[in-house]
Amino acid sequence: MSAQNSPAKSMRTPLARVRSLPVIVIVLMLIGSNQAGAKLILGSLPIAIILLLFIVASAWHMKIGMQVVIEDYVHNEKLKLAGIMANNFFSFAVALASIYALLKLSSGV
Amino acid sequence: MTARIERPLSPHLQTYRWTLTMALSIVHRVTGMALYFGTLLLAWWLIAAASGPGAYANVQAFTASTIGRLIVFGYTWALMHHMLSGIRHFVWDLGYGFKPNEREALTWGALIGGVSLTVLVWIAAYAIGGGR
Amino acid sequence: MMDCRVKPGNDGLNQKARWMVEFALPKNSKIIGGKTWPKPASAPETREFKVYRWNPDDGKNPSIDTYYIDTHDCGPMVLDALICIKNHIDPTLTFRRSCREGVCGSCAMNIDGQNTLACTKSMHDVKDGAVKVNPLPHQPVVKDLVPDLSNFYAQYASIEPWLKTTSPTPQKEWRQSHEDREKLDGLYECILCACCSTSCPSYWWNSERFLGPAALLQATRWVKDSRDEATGERLDNLEDPFRLYRCHTILNCAKACPKSLNPSEAIAELKLMMVERQI
Repeated sequence: MSAQNSPAKSMRTPLARVRSLPVIVIVLMLIGSNQAGAKLILGSLPIAIILLLFIVASAWHMKIGMQVVIEDYVHNEKLKLAGIMANNFFSFAVALASIYALLKLSSGV
Repeated sequence: MTARIERPLSPHLQTYRWTLTMALSIVHRVTGMALYFGTLLLAWWLIAAASGPGAYANVQAFTASTIGRLIVFGYTWALMHHMLSGIRHFVWDLGYGFKPNEREALTWGALIGGVSLTVLVWIAAYAIGGGR
Repeated sequence: MMDCRVKPGNDGLNQKARWMVEFALPKNSKIIGGKTWPKPASAPETREFKVYRWNPDDGKNPSIDTYYIDTHDCGPMVLDALICIKNHIDPTLTFRRSCREGVCGSCAMNIDGQNTLACTKSMHDVKDGAVKVNPLPHQPVVKDLVPDLSNFYAQYASIEPWLKTTSPTPQKEWRQSHEDREKLDGLYECILCACCSTSCPSYWWNSERFLGPAALLQATRWVKDSRDEATGERLDNLEDPFRLYRCHTILNCAKACPKSLNPSEAIAELKLMMVERQI
């Protein structure tokens, strides 16, 4: 559980720091549209790719960020391990569910 | 004689005068945690869009409700603040911005910038949605 | 002779037994009451001081005592006031001091909510009301304003603060260019007063594993020394999720340093060196 704390964490490209901006734009594009409209926009190739990148980057950031918080405050080793496992599961599960939904939207099923 | 004494711990949070950067460090962490759980909202929205009109209407009903709107507003601010605060940390990680006036300016910048961007996004949202 | 080994009440050993970080003070550390000492008779002007007291011999919790000093009969610094209190009001008040001019670091304490040296902090810089004086934060207290800094010193020792070389020792001295010597400016001036480390919340929660700003500033000082030949080894020693990377750039250290040094900047340099040697 140490590699995640390496400085590489904070040395990502500055672009990754503002990855939420395109997503805000996409959300704004969707205001007022119904499910059919949303499906059309979310399923389009560039937008789906942007959202996929956002989800993957966010999930990784969530995982390493929350792990630092857990390591800071949880001092019991077993509880810490449980917390880190729960954190890994949560980050992975949220990302996977979102990715599946996006792929489904893109495939038009 | 062996003295067996439980030494007290000197006061810390109880006495330390809050500094700007200390307060904003906590805000960065709190917004990060809010975003962490807030991704459930994003996942819900995407899953609903993939599921069908009924599920998507539920999400829209939620985001149109007062509590839903407040949560989404809070999420927007957390996202904007955490992003700008993250840029501030990136500047520090590169070894810049440590002088007293610089570190205060960066921190105020993240705070004010986060609120401003949030307001801008919501103005845009209302302009597009026509008040919806 | 009295064996003065005391059980480490709230130091690292005990913290490990805890499940979570405690943001509140432990039961035995809660501040309860305190005595108000009489104002000096016929003093034209007084200043109020609220000072943390803990006596290892009476088995009571810490308290805050209130003193009034005669400002016309006392120097301007907080240390002057403490000496005044000890000489004229309460001889049991215990604190460390030595040089009284900011070079020894002995009188580091928390004054008006900020860590600084009592000898260089003017009581007039503390706005209105009482001057609050506490020991350095989140440390086991030996007595009154005297904290146990054993852990702090052990961490300093752990970064091996001496010149390490493998080349044969030169006949006269290890030479250094002016430019290389200048790289140590802003680092060598540290007096190890512990103001920075004990101002750092991250150090409060993880002092048994995080080295803290002072030790890391010193680590930077040796890593950057052109004469030192153990740079890689020194960086290896810091490659750990806690020793270096518990620094979350909170910057209390830089604000606290009474010598106007910048431990946070030194730590950022270390983090950068860690990255640079990997790419």
